[in-house]
Amino acid sequence: MRRTAAVWAGKATGALSRLSGRGGGTTLPGDVARAIDPTILRKLTGDLTEGSILITGTNGKTTTARLLTSIFEGMGKRVVSNRAGANLIFGATAAALRSAGPDGKLRADWGVFEIDEASLPRAVEEIQPRIAIVLNLFRDQLDRYGELEKIAKTIEAALESIPEGAQAVLNADDPRVGEIGLGLARTPLWFGIEDPVVAMRKLPHAADARTCPKCGASLRFSAVYLGHDGIYECPNGDFARPSPGVAATDIALQGFDSVGMNIGETRVELPVGGLYNAYNAVAAFAAGTVLGVDGQYMAERMHGFTAAFGRQEKMDFRGRRLVLVLSKNPAGFNETLRTAVDMAGATHFILGLNDRKADGTDVSWIWDVDFEQLAGRAQVVVPAGTRAHDLAVRLKYAGVEARPPQTEPGRALDDLISVTPEGATAHILCTYTAMLDIRAELVRRGWAKPYWET
Amino acid sequence: MTKKKNRFTVGWLYPDLMNIYGDRGNILTLLKRAEWRGLDARAIDLGRGAAHGMEDVDVFFFGGGQDREQALVYDDLIEIKQEPLEAAVANGSVVLAVCGGYQLLGHYYQTAEGERFPGIGLIDVRTEAGKKRFIGDVVVDTTLEDLKPTTLVGFENHSGRTFLGAGARALGRVRVGSGNNGGDGTEGCVQGGVVGTYLHGSLLPKNPHLADYLIRRALSRRGMAELAPLDDSIELAAHAKILERAQPRAGER
Repeated sequence: MRRTAAVWAGKATGALSRLSGRGGGTTLPGDVARAIDPTILRKLTGDLTEGSILITGTNGKTTTARLLTSIFEGMGKRVVSNRAGANLIFGATAAALRSAGPDGKLRADWGVFEIDEASLPRAVEEIQPRIAIVLNLFRDQLDRYGELEKIAKTIEAALESIPEGAQAVLNADDPRVGEIGLGLARTPLWFGIEDPVVAMRKLPHAADARTCPKCGASLRFSAVYLGHDGIYECPNGDFARPSPGVAATDIALQGFDSVGMNIGETRVELPVGGLYNAYNAVAAFAAGTVLGVDGQYMAERMHGFTAAFGRQEKMDFRGRRLVLVLSKNPAGFNETLRTAVDMAGATHFILGLNDRKADGTDVSWIWDVDFEQLAGRAQVVVPAGTRAHDLAVRLKYAGVEARPPQTEPGRALDDLISVTPEGATAHILCTYTAMLDIRAELVRRGWAKPYWET
Repeated sequence: MTKKKNRFTVGWLYPDLMNIYGDRGNILTLLKRAEWRGLDARAIDLGRGAAHGMEDVDVFFFGGGQDREQALVYDDLIEIKQEPLEAAVANGSVVLAVCGGYQLLGHYYQTAEGERFPGIGLIDVRTEAGKKRFIGDVVVDTTLEDLKPTTLVGFENHSGRTFLGAGARALGRVRVGSGNNGGDGTEGCVQGGVVGTYLHGSLLPKNPHLADYLIRRALSRRGMAELAPLDDSIELAAHAKILERAQPRAGER
């Protein structure tokens, strides 16, 4: 049977890839199996006893997927999930293969898949989800995705084609996601944040998609939470933020240690920090609500949550504390910087910028990040990554005194350690593959686990 | 020196809508480099409906936008900005236009279906839609006088093909990348005080010599021709890194 052959070939590829130490085998097995049976993902996810949830958006996919996985696993469910950021259709396929038995059948209850924005139509078609979550749409990797508008249209078409009875769960606070949802034939469930205390008054430089879809006027914001996400309306009354059915209120931010919030009657305390994680929590909570999961139970699971690779991962090294924070685009970087500087009191940094395919080969976006926040507050900043020299220029024009740029991750770490006193905490804010590089170096030195074990 | 004379003004055309490729880097570079020379530097936002103060602008910046945003600025550009912009340029103001802004300053943009959208014709260039998008690092040997180093580096991401008329000369010859149209080896254009280009990345931070060229040219109309030298070692190290890294792309020259 073709399906069984595909599963066996894929599984063998994954085992070889891990054995050879070339990484976690997070996507290659998917390529191999799909070459043998192109419908393999459709067949495997069809075996799930409960169904699938797809999560897309620029930022927060991995954390939201992990939150939902933890909720289902706590209920004794077997969950298939494409971890480690392998979010193209091949990564989803590889994840399903890992849980497939020798007979080629998938033995699991739930599929929780994070899906790259551009891959959503194909994922919807093959996986036939019960819930599709859209977290946000920020400017990201223009070299690969093209313009935001194209991505938005792709997502809209994909959401129109989710199966009958399936539910779209959308971020009401994101104007571009709002525009998508208000155009859908079926009413989505909206989630959002309602807390004027944590809001900014003004849009940051990284903001985009700020005009009314009907009349083209610039949107008016009464609150800005993150990037262009907030409470908005068209000054001519043509368009406004939908009222969220599931909202986070009374938010308590504690640096990178935790974020607390009320969702309805439930108090949720998440042991990772930042307002962006409040969005991930309320998105997961909203999806759970659709499925009738008890709120108090979800809060308990979220309280015991552990972060994914490089997402506020904390480790000790030589008497110092390291916090690794993935920061991959302007909206994300601004938030991790704000959390680090304003709330965690961070003073020692490695900032890592790579320009590989997974990071985006165009690094011009660093000029939309407010590195000015570091001026006069950061004591040590080491620019790192393949484009460390670009970061050094950016920091100079932000008025931030930086160490010399280091393109080798080992040298960046050595330089940081040489100027970070024992007992101090250093923050490592990096793009995706820059984080992989730094982390690989930490693994090599025995300070961190390989990422496919996390 | 009078207060007004010491002032340096950057006019940012549609900062909220035409700002897709980190164009703020160009603004920051112009402002900081003027400030470091003791000038009182400021940027004014020239969004939709705004034309106030355009006569005082030393350097205009016009960046790129998405199709949706480009459509939104189109009427305003022709109805509100064209006249004062032409007047300022005639008076010696300088313009840097990147990508979408570059196209809109030319004669027209012609879509794949043959429909023509007229630009404001400030520069003698025309643009036609192309199929393949040109994306990647670019290195240009510039023909601008007295520029050291003689290279410009940046990143391009465009599908429009721009062709120069007799009134415009190229900003440079492409060494790596596609440039104006991927065919004739030219990149960007220079016509009087207007510089158009497809290079972002942002352009000016890694090309401080071009930033100073624009500042100097704008100030010269006010009789201030000299700019004190700055330590550009960080900027030029980043510039050199691109020269070293940029490789001709597969399938191109």
